[in-house]
Amino acid sequence: MKRTFIAFLIAIAAISVSAQTKKEVSDTDKNLISAALKGWHIRLSAGYNIGGTAPLPLPREIRGIESYNPGLNLAIEGTVEKKFGKGNWGLRWGVRLDTKGMTTKAETKNYHMEAWDTEGSGQIIGAFTGKVKTSVKNTYVTVPVLAVYNINKRWNVSAGAYASYLLDGEFTGSAYDGYIRDQNPTGEKAEVTRAEYDFSNDMRKFNWGLQAGGEYKAYKHLAVFANLQWAMNGIFPSDYGSVTFELYPIYGTLGFTYLF
Amino acid sequence: MLLAATLLSASCIREEALNAECDVLSADAAWLVENSLLNGDVKIKNNEIIFIVKKEADLANMPEPEITFELTPGARIEKDSTKRNKDGIYQYYTTFSEDGNWNKQYIAKFIKLPPLDEDHVFSFEHFELNSNNKYSIWYEINNNGIRSDLWASGNAGFMFTGKGKTPDDFPTATDVNGKRGNCIKLTTRDTGSFGKMAGMPIAAGNIFIGEFLSENAMKKPLEATRFGMNIAPKKPAYLTGHYKYTPGEVFTDKKKNTVEGRRDTCAIYSVLYEVYPDNFVSLDGSNVTSSERIVLIAEIENPGEPREWTEFTIPFKSMNGKEFDPARLANNGYAIAVVASSSKDGAFFEGAVGSTLHVDELSIIWE
Repeated sequence: MKRTFIAFLIAIAAISVSAQTKKEVSDTDKNLISAALKGWHIRLSAGYNIGGTAPLPLPREIRGIESYNPGLNLAIEGTVEKKFGKGNWGLRWGVRLDTKGMTTKAETKNYHMEAWDTEGSGQIIGAFTGKVKTSVKNTYVTVPVLAVYNINKRWNVSAGAYASYLLDGEFTGSAYDGYIRDQNPTGEKAEVTRAEYDFSNDMRKFNWGLQAGGEYKAYKHLAVFANLQWAMNGIFPSDYGSVTFELYPIYGTLGFTYLF
Repeated sequence: MLLAATLLSASCIREEALNAECDVLSADAAWLVENSLLNGDVKIKNNEIIFIVKKEADLANMPEPEITFELTPGARIEKDSTKRNKDGIYQYYTTFSEDGNWNKQYIAKFIKLPPLDEDHVFSFEHFELNSNNKYSIWYEINNNGIRSDLWASGNAGFMFTGKGKTPDDFPTATDVNGKRGNCIKLTTRDTGSFGKMAGMPIAAGNIFIGEFLSENAMKKPLEATRFGMNIAPKKPAYLTGHYKYTPGEVFTDKKKNTVEGRRDTCAIYSVLYEVYPDNFVSLDGSNVTSSERIVLIAEIENPGEPREWTEFTIPFKSMNGKEFDPARLANNGYAIAVVASSSKDGAFFEGAVGSTLHVDELSIIWE
């Protein structure tokens, strides 16, 4: 994952360096101006993702979130925007490389769980009371397609959908300081010191959802933005035995856009 | 704004649900304690509460004991019925959880633990399924027809690997091909990814006189096996029985790494050790063959790998320079354990998956 990310950064750096050479500067500018005249705009954004990969609503068995660490999740995006005629509407689409992750520690009470072991030959059904630590770090390549409405020269809002492909996923955690009861809250009890799990390889490759946000053009070439991405499918297949509820990545991005 | 509102609603903790559990946390029969009629502590299991009454108590004419319970907060208990016979008093209860969704049956037993008959043979013919029908448990019937739940195994812990689909999948199982009738079949099992997650990659088959605390099985596995009961009628002289053994192919350590050149071996032994009846502290996995309280020990030293039924007779030897004291025995001052395991170091999760020990017709010859 890191390697892909670094490669991406280098590519961007290379573009900006090559843009510095004298002759090309004028060529690029000309191209951009002529594109802009036809209603095309090229944009490059960078942002910070903060949010959660969470069940909705939060099950009643989750008694408390002891800690939440959003981690360092970056999003880098290149988009093209096409304005329609002289009106306020436009369409924006592009490619984004983004990481959605978090670490939480939660306290559960009689949390119903069903899990298959990795060999698929053993199944536990039970109720867990104790602490659960979950760590998610997923890197996606995402294609957003958004309708844009320009309120005025400085403000615009956008809404649409996105489709993501999981490049690299990490879903690990542990259940600790608690106990499990066989089948249900009346079953045989066993104390759990610590049980580690790693479901990284079982996640869905495809994730999609809705996105909405707003942008404020602070300077001629620079805008700040905020948006929310709300996933419509869970990160695990719906028939996945180890995590019986859907976990939806719901993240907000805060960042800035360079407008060419 | 939208973002903040969404995050808030998503992280909102909903109102705490009422308790779903309905456990008896403690049980106290004050009258028995006041009259010093209890032998050892009250044993509270998931569906049973056991009061072992001293042998001098007159169970048949005793007033029905009143129990004071401590339950899961919010839960309540109702007494359904009482049965009595000359060997015990049995009270039947139902507990109900605070949320009203769950209930559980309990039997409170006031019984004696009769000393073993001198001619008693552990032939493993008496067994039944545990309360949720997952695995077998074994018990003994003495010459007077009294049942004693002497035997324990680690099966209750193996249940949490999810690998026991039938009783035969468990490390401790019954086998119809015994030396005579049924026998015990102990198999060292792979515990799969759940076992590995908990740092217990294998489970040796074991059977022992004593108690298995499944609650401790994952947290403190050595303390989960409580060896021994107050049932020795006399000084033991020999441990005899029949066994056969086939070790598994690949010996692994507690991290499930192969240990080249090491071969699994089984264990069959018996220990007699000192206890205080009013404060019964069992030997457990950490000290069952090494405790300073051991008076006598009988152990097959080199069990080998006999593929056919093989008879053994091993003498009890004194340990820690201690002398057997008949007066101490009369005061319930000794506990005896008989133990068999398909992997000698199974308590430390070292052994070979597939190691199989059959044992049958065990008995202790008393002096």
